[in-house]
Amino acid sequence: MAMHTETVGVIGAGTMGAGIALVCARKGHKVKLLDTNQAVLDKALTYLQATLSKDVEKGRISDGQKAETLALVDFVSDMELLAVCDIVIEAVPERLDLKKNIFGGLSRICRSDALLLTNTSSISITEIAGGLPHPERILGFHFFNPAPVMPLVEVIRGTKSSEENVQRAYRFAEELGKVPVLVTDSPGFIVNRIARPYYNEALRILGDNLADVEKIDRIMKRAGGFKMGPFELQDMIGIDINFATTQSVYTDFFHEGRFKPSRIQQRMVQAGSLGRKTGEGFYDYNK
Amino acid sequence: MTTTNKAVLLVGDSPLYGELHQLITDRGYRVLSLEEAAVQPEAVSLAIEVNSVHLQAKEELIRKLDQLLVPAVPIVTTSLAITATETASWTKHPGRVCGFGTLAPLAERELIEIAPALQTEEAAVRATESFFQSLGKETERVEDEVGLVFPRILSLIINEAAFTLMEKTATPRDIDTAMKQGTNYPYGPLEWADRIGLDEIYAITRGLQRDLAEERYRTAPLLRKLVLANRVGVRSGQGFYTYDAKGGCGV
Repeated sequence: MAMHTETVGVIGAGTMGAGIALVCARKGHKVKLLDTNQAVLDKALTYLQATLSKDVEKGRISDGQKAETLALVDFVSDMELLAVCDIVIEAVPERLDLKKNIFGGLSRICRSDALLLTNTSSISITEIAGGLPHPERILGFHFFNPAPVMPLVEVIRGTKSSEENVQRAYRFAEELGKVPVLVTDSPGFIVNRIARPYYNEALRILGDNLADVEKIDRIMKRAGGFKMGPFELQDMIGIDINFATTQSVYTDFFHEGRFKPSRIQQRMVQAGSLGRKTGEGFYDYNK
Repeated sequence: MTTTNKAVLLVGDSPLYGELHQLITDRGYRVLSLEEAAVQPEAVSLAIEVNSVHLQAKEELIRKLDQLLVPAVPIVTTSLAITATETASWTKHPGRVCGFGTLAPLAERELIEIAPALQTEEAAVRATESFFQSLGKETERVEDEVGLVFPRILSLIINEAAFTLMEKTATPRDIDTAMKQGTNYPYGPLEWADRIGLDEIYAITRGLQRDLAEERYRTAPLLRKLVLANRVGVRSGQGFYTYDAKGGCGV
């Protein structure tokens, strides 16, 4: 159980939001999981039940604990109900207009000392907070997929985030059992920025015909000790997702050459060869 | 390869030198310095040259090896900072020059990349492959370009981490933690660089920038300055982190 329990609002009940709700509830926090789409909320409930049932089967928790954890989560569709929250984590799709709208609403609804966090991987925290009252309590709080499994949370300090709130968010991540790192608002934050050459340079090497896909993957695993090669990893992530991240980092760095996207990747997105999810990417999964 | 009675000539000042010397000796070869080989050149079955930072020294060494050894003896050279094709162009017998590339520590490398120059003859490539296989390593052939595959990709990851640190976007610890916990890297890029040697990483990014001439390969100023100040990592006691005498991490 957490050192002290908070009431946490989670906005967006998709894969990320539902995962974050689970992480919070497992640590004893009250959760208000918000989505305007009832079908998405139903799916989130099914996911929470299934995941906690697996915990029971594996002997990690008792039936009673499962029921207690589930009882901590309220499934809601009215944002006004988040007025009671100490902390709100927004996890809607990566669209600035959507996020600005939500944080505008939260600024009106929530207490001025409530911590307002956005789980973004690519949008500027400073821009989301810009022009809103009390921007000092708006921070980035970036989980990695799947949220219940991956330990890292990037705590992102926007230009107007206060140091006190940065520390609060950092401690909250620790209380959730996560490993937080602090990063100043900048394109791609830490991981999505520093990982760019893993994909981009592999694509350049491929495009320059220095080695083929299988060879590059094999070299990065056998010579480099990476768990997955850059191409099998892109197939897993989704080539469209990977390409969009590169484009966003490239644009936000004002076209710094280090982040220049790859034409090979662009053509694959155009052709609909997006990786495992379409059965074909750098490898063929239909065989 | 049954060359246990044969000698390998090893030259160069890369951080790979010490580790290669140890590994080659452990596998039953005799390792000769340039001075030792000069009095018994016929004993040398293969020569390895591992300069990356000082390209003029590399050129002088390669020319000496080319003069000293009969054309049948392969000259295997690191193509981390310069292509094997350019290195071969310095010789009278370019067909025997073959590139390779890897990074310290060698114990962690299951596989070594081999990059034949445009001029390399098949026999020299085969001899290079057999040699590394006799050291217990797998080999993979790639086309000749600065930094090959793994050293090139890793150097650019480290370079980006150096930019991130230079800007004070995050601390070294947080940068390393993020890459290990957020995307499953075996090491954080900065601690990894300290173990490889920052000079070796710098030689690769500088070589890519020199040969491919793109902003993409611009070396992070912090990385360049650390190398110039001889803060090359664990080896010199200081790099992105500071180390005590036992190689333990202090700051």
